[in-house]
Amino acid sequence: MKGFKFLLKFSYRNLLRAPKRTLILILSLSIGTGFIIWDLNFANSGSKEVMKEFLNQYAGEYHITHKDYYREDNKKEFNNFKIISDSEIPDKSLLTFTTRRVTAPVFVSGEKKTLGVLLTGLETEKEIKLSTLSKAVTVGRFLNPNSDKEIVLGKKLAHRIEVKLGDEVAVIGQALDGSVANELMTVVGLIDFGGGDLEESLAFTQIKSAQELLVMGPDQYHQRVDFNMKDETLPQIKGLAVTIWTDLLPEIGVSVRFVDNFTWLVSIVIVLVISLGLSNSLMITFLEREQEFQTLNIIGAKTIWVTVSLLIEVFLLGTIAILLGLLLGQISTNYFYHYPFNIQFFTGGKPIIMGGMIIQPLVRIYPVLEYYWKVPVMIYIFLTMTMIYPLIRVIRRSKNAI
Amino acid sequence: MQFELIHVDKIYQVSEENKVFGAKDVNLKIGTGDFMALVGPSGSGKTTILNLIAGLILPTNGSLKHGGSDITALSLEERTKHRLDFMGFIFQDYQLLPILTAYENIEFPLQLKGFSKKEIDERVHWALSQVGLEKMGNRFPKQLSGGQQQRVSIARAIAGRPELVLADEPTANLDSKTAQEIIELFKKLNQEFKLTFIFSTHDQRLIDQVNTVMYVKDGQISETRNHHA
Repeated sequence: MKGFKFLLKFSYRNLLRAPKRTLILILSLSIGTGFIIWDLNFANSGSKEVMKEFLNQYAGEYHITHKDYYREDNKKEFNNFKIISDSEIPDKSLLTFTTRRVTAPVFVSGEKKTLGVLLTGLETEKEIKLSTLSKAVTVGRFLNPNSDKEIVLGKKLAHRIEVKLGDEVAVIGQALDGSVANELMTVVGLIDFGGGDLEESLAFTQIKSAQELLVMGPDQYHQRVDFNMKDETLPQIKGLAVTIWTDLLPEIGVSVRFVDNFTWLVSIVIVLVISLGLSNSLMITFLEREQEFQTLNIIGAKTIWVTVSLLIEVFLLGTIAILLGLLLGQISTNYFYHYPFNIQFFTGGKPIIMGGMIIQPLVRIYPVLEYYWKVPVMIYIFLTMTMIYPLIRVIRRSKNAI
Repeated sequence: MQFELIHVDKIYQVSEENKVFGAKDVNLKIGTGDFMALVGPSGSGKTTILNLIAGLILPTNGSLKHGGSDITALSLEERTKHRLDFMGFIFQDYQLLPILTAYENIEFPLQLKGFSKKEIDERVHWALSQVGLEKMGNRFPKQLSGGQQQRVSIARAIAGRPELVLADEPTANLDSKTAQEIIELFKKLNQEFKLTFIFSTHDQRLIDQVNTVMYVKDGQISETRNHHA
């Protein structure tokens, strides 16, 4: 565009005409931008850290199962026999961060009482490496990888069926062949998630013991549970189902999405409020220069020239403010990356209970690249909208005569 | 090319019954090299006639012509371009842009016209030399006296070598000595470069110097006198 350099100079000089006002506008917009960046990073990192803590405890990132394993009508069956084996998973790299589990509804019976629970057979050694389940054992110990027929009970379950460490319990279920399965197992540990009801309905044993109990082959299992948080692309495995945690735990997935969306909503409101203030300031600034706009029109500047010069002025201001804001957001994000804080700072010292489990993550805020372009785009859109009314007024009033 | 106002009326509708004539049956021809003044008391309609010539307002009746072309047929943006291409403006209160230096103020309409950098530089230096401010090009308006600001305003108006310079009360804000210098400058520009000027004024010193004086009363040109012809 011919004369663009002059136009740019003209707009830049106008910014410097009231330096204090310009500085205040830039500061308010940059602080707002910086806060939004930090806030979004915080919400994203916070929910990811909380989810990571939660999923690492037991649930895992995604489950590889028989395609009918999680089907709604299967849940009605007393036992779900939909088993798989490693020979059905062609991509062996998927086995690295996964652990096998066998699950079955069983009765656990002490000397006096019996309760129905979900028994999970675990690959103990891998489970210790991948999940933090073993750390939830508060009484006794976790399952010994080199032993069998051991059982870890939920603390409340043990209390209700009146068993203690070292006691033997009878585990009764339905085997894969339909026969009654039963086994005596020794209680070696009590698990406490801190959350409540979950401990009343869970019991864990070595995978080998669970397979023997249910008359399954040593290579057969129900789930391969993945703990690799970095893997956000669901693999496709022919004939099998790969289910992500948001589908396994929809209510928690929804709440994470809610936090994310709500943070965006708050960000939009912040930008809107700043924009309204900015619009008012621009209106005052433009009206103060009304006579100049009239002069420009008289000496031959077309409406488009005046409009573009004002747009450049506001976008120069916006760009400086956004760059400064991104820097502020990055510095504050970086600070909390190096100095993570306990989430309880925001919960009044109380723990977060999710899915019946206590989680207490240290939140390390890390930058999410997409916010560094999405937020500026959002601000530019609002800036443009902010300009519309002041511009219309200026253009209307600049058409006056000498 | 000649600027013409033919039977021009400009009526302002104050209320349904009350109409005010800003200009009434104005007939006016401005030829190349003319040096003329519209004279009359405040509110007589001088500025309205200037606005009509410039195409800043449109007549209620009659026509405005430049070189035979009808200006009233042009759109708002076309009339703005027409002013840029053919006219220069001088204001009572100078109307310089405070954020631009004297040089840049003169450069402004030349930039709008799309002149090359070299041509702009030549024209700005020529204009500055004509108004005697060769060494003050880098000063901002607030660093200049009233007289110097008016000289910059004149330089801005003439740098594009317009066919017509319209000046609204150009000496009204100046002290006597400076006003006299500015009048001399107008005269020099008219005589040396055949620049056409039309003033709205009631400054007798300026009235004494122009070739044509048109007395305006109640929106009408009541009398036209030619002298110094």
